[in-house]
Amino acid sequence: MAAISPPSRTTGTTEGSVGGSGWLAAFVGEWRSLTRLGAFILITLATAVRRYRDNSRVIRPQVLGEIHRCGVRLLPIVGFLGVVLGIVFVGQTVSLMEQVGASNFMGTLMVTVFLREMAPMIAGLLVLARVGTASVVELGTARALGEVEALEVLGIDPIHYLVVPRVVGFAAAVVSLTAYLILISLGSGYVFAYARGLKASPMEFFTAIAGAMTVMDFPLLVLKTLLFGALTGWVICYQGLARPMTLEEVGPATTRTVAVCVVGCLMLDALFITVYLLL
Amino acid sequence: MHSTITALETESLEIARPSLTEGVVLQAMDWKVASGELWVVAGVQGSGKTALLETLAGLNQPAAGQVRVFGRPVGGADDDDAGLWETRRRMGLVFDGSGRLFPALSVQENIFLPWCYHQNRTPAEALAELEPLIRHLQLESLLLRTPGSLSRSWSRRVALARCLVLKPRLLLLDNPLAGLDAVHLRWWRGFLTEAMAGHPMLGGEPLAVIATADAVRPYSGLDSRFALVADGQWRILPDMETVLASTGEDGYHNPTDIRP
Repeated sequence: MAAISPPSRTTGTTEGSVGGSGWLAAFVGEWRSLTRLGAFILITLATAVRRYRDNSRVIRPQVLGEIHRCGVRLLPIVGFLGVVLGIVFVGQTVSLMEQVGASNFMGTLMVTVFLREMAPMIAGLLVLARVGTASVVELGTARALGEVEALEVLGIDPIHYLVVPRVVGFAAAVVSLTAYLILISLGSGYVFAYARGLKASPMEFFTAIAGAMTVMDFPLLVLKTLLFGALTGWVICYQGLARPMTLEEVGPATTRTVAVCVVGCLMLDALFITVYLLL
Repeated sequence: MHSTITALETESLEIARPSLTEGVVLQAMDWKVASGELWVVAGVQGSGKTALLETLAGLNQPAAGQVRVFGRPVGGADDDDAGLWETRRRMGLVFDGSGRLFPALSVQENIFLPWCYHQNRTPAEALAELEPLIRHLQLESLLLRTPGSLSRSWSRRVALARCLVLKPRLLLLDNPLAGLDAVHLRWWRGFLTEAMAGHPMLGGEPLAVIATADAVRPYSGLDSRFALVADGQWRILPDMETVLASTGEDGYHNPTDIRP
């Protein structure tokens, strides 16, 4: 009796040797994975542009659903996190700076560390943790159970129906949640610092922060958070959908997604630091 | 009387399962299916019937040869993206078992999705337009239920409805009569007869139907043609008795004869 061979496994992990050839194989594997992700991103962009107006009565509710799922439903936790972050980071820092007589640098420090770096990263990680991981499991399971093929035989493009709404939803969610996180954190931070004896009025506090910002901070903050969200959406859909999967591979795909998203967002962040330094 | 429009044609087709490493599972297949014909493709489980349907639907690349649906190549190198999506709309595939319904959607949303997507219409418009078809398939009381709450027989019928809303001219059914009770079996046999003859609810024209089967007895009495997939070979058989003899359904069959 001929044994049925197990499904081919292409998890991207490198087994065995840690010698020179093992590292080389790992590097080649990662490089291939990166190029495939790049191709996936280009295909998604092309589909989104080419089919922008197509099937709008099905795709628009999908997009709105994703925005609601990734953004609106996370507002309570963002509010809570904003208050905590305001007390722990903003309030304590402002209070300490006044105690050591460095209040003049308060605005610059808040803009450089909190507005540009911490808030976008925290909002991105929150969306990844709360919605992203669940989305990989959802998409990976759909792939493993053949639901993606079921879409294809119905003439429904899975990139158009499953990927584009998620990428748009994640991008919109990270942009808006970052804005809410910044406003709530600064507000609660000021209240905490005021309770600890801060002499500046709210107007002086927020004027100091606004004064430390440049005009380019607004578009760059939007662009950065947009890319954080879109990258998260792309990686999630790529890991969940782009290749045949078995149910056992859904778990490893989820952990791999988290690692790739964190590394990808940090690399994007480093790129933006270069842009800020050049401006 | 059968129409002479060729719905599907294969030339030297060889089929492989992409997920497995066993290579070609079906070799050298030349076949022609006309509108109004019901073909029953018999074979034991694991013989490659599902891989055959998935290749005909363009989900898998053929290992060699060509598939043409209404004269248009499917899944080959010369098949462009837009052409493939257009061809897929002219055929429907109902998967084995529960039909791979989308579990996050209700029965109604499952059925309406392809129609709303291709017509760019709302679910309310779909309900008004598709109500006669839903009633014909006796699904009106199940519309608000989730796929997980349905029995396998009803899930399969919902999957059929989801595929029929696009009015396909070629219907691929993976083991549709397996495990049905007498009521569902009678309904499916009636449906297959209607599909072959052409029913106003199905677009009026005779459909070409290809159904795979582990056991062919449920098809007795239907005006069907038979083929057998066994040992990687494709054979067209003259009648049901020959199929029964080939698959061991005609009586005692030594289990050691059953090939994997």
